[in-house]
Order: sequence, then structure tokens, then C-alpha cells
Amino acid sequence: MTAQVRGLRQDGAAGMAALLEIRGARRSFATPEGGRVTALDGVDLDVGANEFVTLLGPSGCGKTTLLRAISGFEALDAGTIRLDGQDVAPLPPFRRPVNTVFQSYALFGHMSVARNVGFALEVRGVPRAERDRAVAEALEKVGLAGFGARRPAQLSGGQRQRVALARALIARPRLLLLDEPLSALDRGLRQQMQIELKTLQHGLGIAFVFVTHDQEEALTMSDRIVVMRAGRVEQTGTPREIYRRPRTRFVAEFVGETNLFETVVERIEGSQARLRTPEGLAFTAPARGLAPGARATLVLRPADFSLGAAGAGIAGRVERAVYLGQDLHLLVRPEAGGPAIRVTVRDGAAAPEPGAKVSLVHDADAAHLLEEAE
Amino acid sequence: MRNPAGWLLLTALSLLFFAFIYAPLLVIVGYSFNANPVNMMVWDGFTLDWYRGLFGLRDRTGDALSRAAYVESTDQLLAALRNSLIVAACTTAISTVIGTATAIALARHRFRLRRLYEGLMLMPMMMPDIVLGIGLLIFFVSLGMQLSLLTIIIGHCTFLTSYVFIVVQARIAGIDPALEEAAADLGASEWVTLRKVLLPQLAPGILGGALLAFVISMDDLVITYFIAGTGSTTLPVFIFGMIRRGVKPEINAIATLIILASVLIAALGLWLRSRRIDR
Ligand SMILES: Nc1ncnc2c1ncn2[C@@H]1O[C@H](COP(=O)(O)OP(=O)(O)OP(=O)(O)O)[C@@H](O)[C@H]1O
Ligand SMILES: [Mg+2]
Repeated sequence: MTAQVRGLRQDGAAGMAALLEIRGARRSFATPEGGRVTALDGVDLDVGANEFVTLLGPSGCGKTTLLRAISGFEALDAGTIRLDGQDVAPLPPFRRPVNTVFQSYALFGHMSVARNVGFALEVRGVPRAERDRAVAEALEKVGLAGFGARRPAQLSGGQRQRVALARALIARPRLLLLDEPLSALDRGLRQQMQIELKTLQHGLGIAFVFVTHDQEEALTMSDRIVVMRAGRVEQTGTPREIYRRPRTRFVAEFVGETNLFETVVERIEGSQARLRTPEGLAFTAPARGLAPGARATLVLRPADFSLGAAGAGIAGRVERAVYLGQDLHLLVRPEAGGPAIRVTVRDGAAAPEPGAKVSLVHDADAAHLLEEAE
Repeated sequence: MRNPAGWLLLTALSLLFFAFIYAPLLVIVGYSFNANPVNMMVWDGFTLDWYRGLFGLRDRTGDALSRAAYVESTDQLLAALRNSLIVAACTTAISTVIGTATAIALARHRFRLRRLYEGLMLMPMMMPDIVLGIGLLIFFVSLGMQLSLLTIIIGHCTFLTSYVFIVVQARIAGIDPALEEAAADLGASEWVTLRKVLLPQLAPGILGGALLAFVISMDDLVITYFIAGTGSTTLPVFIFGMIRRGVKPEINAIATLIILASVLIAALGLWLRSRRIDR
């Protein structure tokens, strides 16, 4: 709980309240089998104006339920949601100043692209001429100028996604919710849209709450990542914090490739702790107030290792080498035993082949010890 | 097709199938132009007399008595047709509105006894016509209602609502509920969402249900037979009465016109459907 609070933005003192403020959100569903599933189990979340927050978590952890609670399609069993300081519980979805980009896009098939995009203005009774101007502008912004007369069925997946985006943005919401909007796109288009979305969000000054279970996407786009697990917030932080200083084993394993070592602190040398695994592998990491004899889980990312001179560091044998463009992914089995270590090195002249003997050294400053006691 | 024998068999079967369905209709169409007034099984040359007769245009050379009989039966025929159209139009309008509204309510709202409600909506369709007819007759009589066009309209609505309901329900099941959520998300109230999103999406289903209701209403004999008063004979009841007095060649002409109308309505339906898919 302490870490959760620490992860939140502490900007209350500066006087600027968060745009979105969720406290203790709970929601459970009755299952057909007669039991209950808890989709939200006490979620706290703050989102500042013009902040890009990503909800990241495995399937079924409650991301969609949380978004639906914000947009008003799901009522909470307990807890509050405030927008601009105002409790939104009594507001039906169509009165909430929030727009959504649905996972399935949910474009109106019987309307043209232009009418889809202008729908929010049409509903508000904005005059035709003004609406047309806004629609043209919105289509221009998402790179679909000239597509207004088409039907959604006549667009590609990426184009539909952009129509959905333009439609949600035309009413200039303060907060935009996006439920895995990129999951249906191929890799290239996806990366292009990631950049476009980020640029758009920054330029418009809108806050985004973005759902994904793709950790790479979360890392590249977000100002802040909220890692969820089984209806709870596991950790909140900047992409760097989440990647570099995961609080729990779950976060470390879910976000990015990782090596985890169960170690015991041998001795403390200044700010450094000397650690040893049961197999006898030795590591050095920032001490963080640990005493000798304490058990600690060590996190080392594949790129935190490099290949050292023979005799230095951990001796091992390359089990597998996968060439990925500039990088070489190695799976190294330590000679002392224990699980194989994942290592990423720059591809060079001395690229080791499977079966080769290598020695691994690690960057002691990049090493991170988990907080949670295992 | 890799197997010529199989292909041949399949083609032959299809041809037989269609011949089986359409032969009786073609026979009627053929006989409607047969000049033989006594035995219509014997071809006696081409004539349009029976069609002229239907519309009171048959040349008036016959004796006064038979001429009067023709004019009378033509008037009755046209009156029956008019009654049928009135009934079908009213019934279609009423049952389409009620059936559609019920289908939407059942698909989009969760409430207790929903299943039971659904079952009750479908029941009249399963009910044998003869039971429905007798039931309606006893009901109207016990209420002291005069049998009239009104009782026919009420009677038809009781089971045609089911037909519209089932057609619209099938359509609504295929519509992503996220569409309505998207509309609400963009600021549309429930009413606006219904008008601008749900109803246009449902339109093909509603139209299909309405066409079905219209056709069945025009066609219904058994139930209508029980609840039609003397002044409110519909076309099927009238034709049935004519046949009981002997098959007259005019009946072939009426049947041919009805076939023509049905084909036109079916073509209209198909055309509307294909237009939906194209865009
Ligand atoms: N209407 C519902 N009725 C019953 N259970 C539900 C309902 N909606 C969600 N759940 C359950 O609540 C949990 C959270 O669902 P949710 O859709 O929020 O997950 P998610 O994090 O969005 O997953 P995904 O990444 O697969 O989309 C799941 O266990 C799901 O089965
Ligand atoms: Mg989801």
C-alpha cells in the first residue's frame, strides 16, 4: 500500500488537483457458475491534465472494467471517481466529459466517415457548416483528408482506427480513454500509430488513459504506467521507474525481459551490497539499507550484462544465440548451475556461437533489488 | 467440380426441386389464359376474358342475368381486395411497431422473467391457426364485439407481432452493443441513440419483418375465416368461397395477379437487402 501511495503524483500540495481522481474503486461481477469475480479490488488512480497514463496488465486484470467505470458504462460497488474534482457517479455516460476509442472501434456502419466523425457535434446541434469545417479539420489531423464520403467498411484497419480517434477527439474532451486501440494493427502500422497518438496527445493538451497488455507499447508511449494485477494496482511509475525499479517480481517479469536471482547478502561495502546465489554466483548491487544475511531478489535486465575477459565474472556456456538486427540475444547457462541467464549484447566481430564459453560481467549500478520479501 | 456424374445429379436434383415448387404456379398462370370456360384442363385458345371479367370489362353481350352476376362478383372481389389491403396495412404498422419495440427491450435490458416474456412473444406463432381462430372468435363474441375489419386487424396483430419480433430479434443479435455505447459516449441520449444508431442499423430487419407481416396478413385464411364478419370479407376468404361454389376460370386470373404482386414484393425485398450489403 505504501508503494502505491508513493507512486501517485504528489501534486496536491502544489495546488493543482488531478484531472481524474479514482479512490478505492471496487467492482465485482456475478458469474454464470454462481460465483463472483472481482474485476476491481480497490483501485486508486490519479491522472493529471495532459498526462499519458497507460494501464498495463495481463488479460482479465480489470483494465477494461476500470475504463468502463470512468466512462460510465459500469457502476462501481464502492469507491469514487472524480473528474475535475466533481463526483461523476450520478452522471450517465452521455453526460460525462470523457470520450472513448473502443477496442472494436465501434464505427457506425450506416454512416459515412464524415458523419461518424461529426457525430458528437451533430448530437449537440452544432450547425451544419461549422460541423463540416470541424470534421474536415479532424480528418486532416489524423491524415484522412478526402476520406469523408467513404463508409467505414471501405477503410483499412488502420484508417478505421484513425476515424475512431478523430470521432472521439472532435468534441475536445479533457480526457480520452483508449482500450487497446492498436491491438488489431500490424507491427509497422502500430509503431507509426504509437508515434502519431503520442504527438497528437501532446499537441492537443488532452489527458489519455491508454489500455494495453503490450509492455513495449506501454514503455514507449506513457508518461506514467500503472501496472495492474488481478484488480489491483501493483505499481505506478514512469516507464523508467517501472522498468528499472520494479517493486515486485510480478512487475519485473511482466515488463520487459528479465533475469531474477534469489540471493543472500554476504557483506556490505559502502553503498554496495555483495550478493551470492545458492549456486555460488556473485553479484554486486546498490545496498539499499540491507544487512548481511538478508535475502533479496535481484533484477538484472539482459542488457545489464556484457561479455568480459575470460576468468572475470560468471563463467557459462552459450546455449542459444538469436540474431536480431544490431542485437544478439544469448541464453547463457552458468557453469556453477542454476537457471540460464538472458543476455543482450551488441552484435560484433566476436559474436559467440552456441556452445562457446563466455564470462558475463554485470553493471552493478543497473542491478536492482526487489522490495517485496520473498 | 471434379466429378461430372455428381455434378449432373446435383443439377438434375435442383431442376426437379424447382420444377416441383413452381409447376403448380405455372399451370395456374397458363390456365388463366385458357379460353375454355367449362373444362379448364382442355386448352381452347388464348384469351384475356377472365382478366376483363375480374374488372367488369367483359363484353356485355351475354344475357342480363349473367351480366349482373359478373358485375356483382367483380364488385365483391374488389371490395375484398380493398379489405385485405386495409387489414394488411394496419396490421403491418401495428405489429411492426410493437414487435420491434419488444425485440429491442428484450435484447437491451435485463429484467426478471425475461425468458418467460420471450416465450410468450413467440407462442402465438407456434399456435395452430385453427385454435387461434376459434379462440379469437369466442373472445370477440364474449366481449360483444361486432365482427368487422377491426376484429380482423386485432386478430392478425396477435400473431404477426410474433413474426416481426423474431425477425428483428435475429437482426439485433448481430449488432455490436458497443455501437450504442459509442453513441452514448459521444453525448447521445438514449432516445437519440435509438433514432440515429439503433433503428438505422435495424432497418433491414424491421423492413423484412414488416414485409413478412404484410404478406402473411394478405394471405391468411383460417384465422380470418373465423373472425371476418359478413361485410368484412378479405380476398382469401372471398376466393375460398368462390371455389366452394365451383372453380371458375376467373380464379386462375386472380391467382395469377396475386403471384405477380408477390413476385414484385419479393423482388423489392431482395433489392432493398442487396442495397444494404453493397454499401
Ligand atoms: N459483464 C461481466 N460479467 C461478468 N464478469 C465480467 C464482466 N466484465 C468483466 N468481467 C470479469 O472481470 C474481470 C476483468 O475483466 P476486464 O474486461 O476488465 O479485463 P481486462 O483487463 O480488460 O482484460 P483484457 O486484457 O483481456 O481485455 C475478468 O475476470 C472478467 O471475466
Ligand atoms: Mg479489456
